[in-house]
Amino acid sequence: MPPALQNPFLLWIVLSVALAVLCYFAIRKELRLRATLYGAFLLACVVAAWPPYERDGHPGKIHLGLDLKGGIHLVLQVVTDDALNATIDDAVGTARAQATAKGISFGGARRVDATSLAVEGVEPARVKDMRDILKDFFRAPEWDVREQGDGKFLVKMTDSFVNQVRDRTVKEAIRTLERRVNQLGVAEPVIAQHGAKGDQILVQLPGVTDVEQAKRVISTTAQLALKLVEDNAGTRESLLEKTKGVVPDNMDVVQGQGREAGQPEFYLVRKEAVITGRDLKNARAGVGQNNEPDVQFTLNPGGADKFKRETGRNVGRRLAIILDGSVASAPTIQSQIGAEGQITGRFTAQEADELAKILRAGALPATLKYLQELTVGASLGRDSIRQGVIAAGMGMAFLAVFMLLYYRLSGLNAIIALSANILILLGCMAYFGATLTLPGIAGIILTVGVGVDTNVLVFERIREELRNGKTVKAAINNGFDRVWITILDTHATALIAAAFLFQFGTGPVKGFAVTLVMGLIANIFASYFVSRFIFEWVLGKRQAATLSI
Amino acid sequence: MEFLKNPNYDFLGKTKILLALSTALILGGVAYISTQGVRYGVEFSGGTQLIARFQNRPEVDRVRSAVDKVTSGATIQTYDDPSKNQVLIRLPHTSANETDLGAGAQSVLQSLKENYGANSVVESSTEIVGPIVGAELRRKAIQLTIFGLLFQLIYIAFRFGGAVWGAAATIAVFHDVLITVGLLALFKYEITLNVIAALLTLVGYSVNDTIVIFDRVRENLKQRRKEPMAKLINDSVNQTLSRTLISSGTTFLTVLGLFLFGGEVLRGFGFTMVVGIIIGTYSTIYIAAPIVVWWDSYRKKQRPATARAAL
Repeated sequence: MPPALQNPFLLWIVLSVALAVLCYFAIRKELRLRATLYGAFLLACVVAAWPPYERDGHPGKIHLGLDLKGGIHLVLQVVTDDALNATIDDAVGTARAQATAKGISFGGARRVDATSLAVEGVEPARVKDMRDILKDFFRAPEWDVREQGDGKFLVKMTDSFVNQVRDRTVKEAIRTLERRVNQLGVAEPVIAQHGAKGDQILVQLPGVTDVEQAKRVISTTAQLALKLVEDNAGTRESLLEKTKGVVPDNMDVVQGQGREAGQPEFYLVRKEAVITGRDLKNARAGVGQNNEPDVQFTLNPGGADKFKRETGRNVGRRLAIILDGSVASAPTIQSQIGAEGQITGRFTAQEADELAKILRAGALPATLKYLQELTVGASLGRDSIRQGVIAAGMGMAFLAVFMLLYYRLSGLNAIIALSANILILLGCMAYFGATLTLPGIAGIILTVGVGVDTNVLVFERIREELRNGKTVKAAINNGFDRVWITILDTHATALIAAAFLFQFGTGPVKGFAVTLVMGLIANIFASYFVSRFIFEWVLGKRQAATLSI
Repeated sequence: MEFLKNPNYDFLGKTKILLALSTALILGGVAYISTQGVRYGVEFSGGTQLIARFQNRPEVDRVRSAVDKVTSGATIQTYDDPSKNQVLIRLPHTSANETDLGAGAQSVLQSLKENYGANSVVESSTEIVGPIVGAELRRKAIQLTIFGLLFQLIYIAFRFGGAVWGAAATIAVFHDVLITVGLLALFKYEITLNVIAALLTLVGYSVNDTIVIFDRVRENLKQRRKEPMAKLINDSVNQTLSRTLISSGTTFLTVLGLFLFGGEVLRGFGFTMVVGIIIGTYSTIYIAAPIVVWWDSYRKKQRPATARAAL
């Protein structure tokens, strides 16, 4: 169900109940007006819900939940610390570059934790200059710069900025996932912020059966970076021999596949990327020179300028193509390259195709962790529907027979009211785009039970009034009037319970709550107002001395 | 047709015996749960649940040997009707590494494919729940149940103009939930989200039943202020008895249909409702009503003149 519906939904309940009651008391004497209104409403429900399930190529109006339709349900956690780390890494780069530009010598700049960085060992004479630079680049209210003496500065992100970054990361991740899921061609996907802290994403892909592909497409971070290679070696130790085991400040060590499959190769690359995934305009799967599948990309104008400049300056050097922290390949720059290039690696055609799709959709701003996964096979779902419908049908058939036997013609009234009840329920579900789940079917059965209870309450009261010697008309009026309060109380408490079920968030239980809430409201309308109308309509024409009850 | 004409049973006379029975049932349930524990569904306990449908009738032993090749600690059982060729496989948490949540299920399916040859898995459903979600859900379920009850109590107290009515209905509901959960544990049903939904529905149902009778008491109170509360309530129960039996009876039979024919997924739900409706109906008459009577007589002993007015 669309997220926008969640709160207005409860408001809608209150309004519609109030409206129904108001309408009734305003026009209680006008039978014909009531007939027209009730008829129009029921007709609207038929139109809204027809056809309820897929038929002759027309899609069904009732949305089926994953448990009935088959598909995938995932809850992912966005590791927002990733984005914070990246923010701090950027800041470290800025601080270092600015200090160097101003000729300030300092011991080092490093990330302390996910939300702060430190600049240490600033030469005493230039501490003031350093302070000015930091204050200038890291301003309130986002940053907090603290001087800790001995030429040491601590720069911290403020809490509000941290929250802002976290929130932005989740939103960005959702947008990226939406683009990726679009490329999978899934109908009616749900991608929404989730969880108490809002750092989770709910993904529902109805009808998708290839779980592994879907999960790969969703969770690949796809952080692409092309970086210049300084050196490479078979082991980390031999790579760092020249620098005595220390990774230089502006360098990174990245692992990747070596020339032989299965052998790792270590690359010492520049920290600063030539281009990143953000510079891509388009990507598509293609076939390279050796007939190997590859991914061909086009850069946007800004990226193309940068790429042209850097490749022109570094002909003959190797350029590492780093995907999610691992070197896919490191080709040598043969000549200046413009707006187009290829990513080669040991891809299969399918892998190349998926990678192209993912690159087109853009990178995720942070890694995603799986918290929950639910997949339902399509035919298992169909089985559930069949059983649920059988159980519901049997329950209703039994109720119909019982009501006819026990209340005779008044039982027929109850059956009409029950049918109206179910019709309204289905119409509302279709209109509001609510999802029917297996527990939802149970909710419908329960609605029917509650509907019968309303009828029984009224009928028993009418019988009692008749026993006390009231006329048919008075008995019906008294019967309905007296149970009104009871019905209001019972439905209100049931709605309270349903409202809390609704808070369970997503999944089958929510489906149950939705049908229950709609059913309870439909019930007041059908089993009370429609049923009363039928009595008044039928008995209004003739002054009946007896009532078939 | 009419089952009962002007019933006049002495319901409240048997209160003490039945109260002893209720207490015994609750204590028994609590004792059973504290020694044997309750089984949680995969959504609460975390872990992996896999339902695999085979081409032909699967042999559980062969399935087990295939599963044991790739993982340990799995439970395997046939699922639903045997003619459906389905097997349910439960895996405990294998690793804390949540990026790799689906690995267990994937390797089990792979192994089944490799080791089960021609009669292999046609289709499968998996449910994998990480430890964070499971714990969060457990907390949420308990929280929501308590808040749901609390708000119903407030509503009733407000509608009937006295806390004792709300308290009586709520105690009756606690009684129902405790006994039902005890029976769920005894019959080895798993506490799943569906069962929680059924329990909350049962709460609504039980309160519903109590309100119908309380409403009648309220109505009678207006005309018969002088009569003793016990007689008033007993009469009210009798006056609504026919409705109580028919409503509970019909609802009972519909959920019985759900329990018997709704398939494996709805079985726990159906059981909870079937048991809950019986207990919910019973508790209205034998738990909620006596509480109001006792409170009334207690107040009368304390302050005879103002007792009725304060109710």
